[in-house]
Amino acid sequence: MTQAEDQEEQPQGRTRWRRFALTMGISTMVTAGLVVLTAQGVIAASFSVSGLPFVVTADELQGTGFEQYAVLDQMEPGSPNEGDTGGQLILIVSAIDNAKLSNLCQSISLGGTNLRLTAGNADHPVTATKLIVDSDLITGDASFTSIDIGQDASTLTRVPGATGGIGIFGQQAETVNIKHLRQNNYATTAATFNLPGLHMSFSAEGC
Amino acid sequence: MRRSFRGWRRSRPFWGGLFIVVAAVEIFLTVKAPLPVVVHVGMQGLAGFLVPIIMLLCGVLLWFTPANRTFYSILALLMAFASWVTSNLGGFLIGLLLGMIGGSLAFSWQPAPPRKPAPALPPDADTAELTERAER
Repeated sequence: MTQAEDQEEQPQGRTRWRRFALTMGISTMVTAGLVVLTAQGVIAASFSVSGLPFVVTADELQGTGFEQYAVLDQMEPGSPNEGDTGGQLILIVSAIDNAKLSNLCQSISLGGTNLRLTAGNADHPVTATKLIVDSDLITGDASFTSIDIGQDASTLTRVPGATGGIGIFGQQAETVNIKHLRQNNYATTAATFNLPGLHMSFSAEGC
Repeated sequence: MRRSFRGWRRSRPFWGGLFIVVAAVEIFLTVKAPLPVVVHVGMQGLAGFLVPIIMLLCGVLLWFTPANRTFYSILALLMAFASWVTSNLGGFLIGLLLGMIGGSLAFSWQPAPPRKPAPALPPDADTAELTERAER
């Protein structure tokens, strides 16, 4: 009797598996379409990775509007990544207004395995707008035009909206060209990426 | 207590909602950044934030107002697709797939038909009760 009462109060339900299969089928097609369109560079995907350390490499980076300054990042209290750093990291912020990267490789360490993203070649480079990266290591062969070194970080103008703190060393340039780029990025990347020839995989090796 | 939870769970698209909530949390964690940074980036950053939040709301609302499940499940599916563009390729595909499963589960959930005969009672019981009522 009580069971019948329960049923009256809360009508039991079930999943219609045929309908589920149909919905999943349509969803899978939509997702596949999105992946293909992104890989062809039709759709620009947005990235903002934070907190997870990740590596970016590229054969060549060409950018217009370049800024660089130092910043002190504070980790969350009790963060397991703290180590002997006392929870503070000095990072280099690189901001590029418009960037083209050929043979981009990005890997995110997920503990044991890496999510590896590759995209772009010399003919169809990855394009990114407002690329703002906090890195603890940048290597490569760089050349700049119209560079101002030692400008106060709060007065940088090449990338609209990105400035550092007052009294902090900064530099900016009109254009930048870095060959064999390698960045160990830490805290924040915020950008819109166009990823032609996107390839995603999980692999034991990073970039 | 456990039994009542089971009743609660079975009377709504529980698993669909749960998958959507997990997907939303996963996507949110991948885009997690200090709010000033997000605002700084502008619309793109904000959209990356908002999409998983709307997904989370859909998942929770599926539990508490299961009557509106069609709307919430379709919205959750659309948000899962949108997260590919706005939020780190749908939380690096994981959140997108979880959201797809959750949205589809919730969309295909339906309450049992109201005039379901009670299996516990023997078939005569109903008629006996009815005739008894008719006699009164």
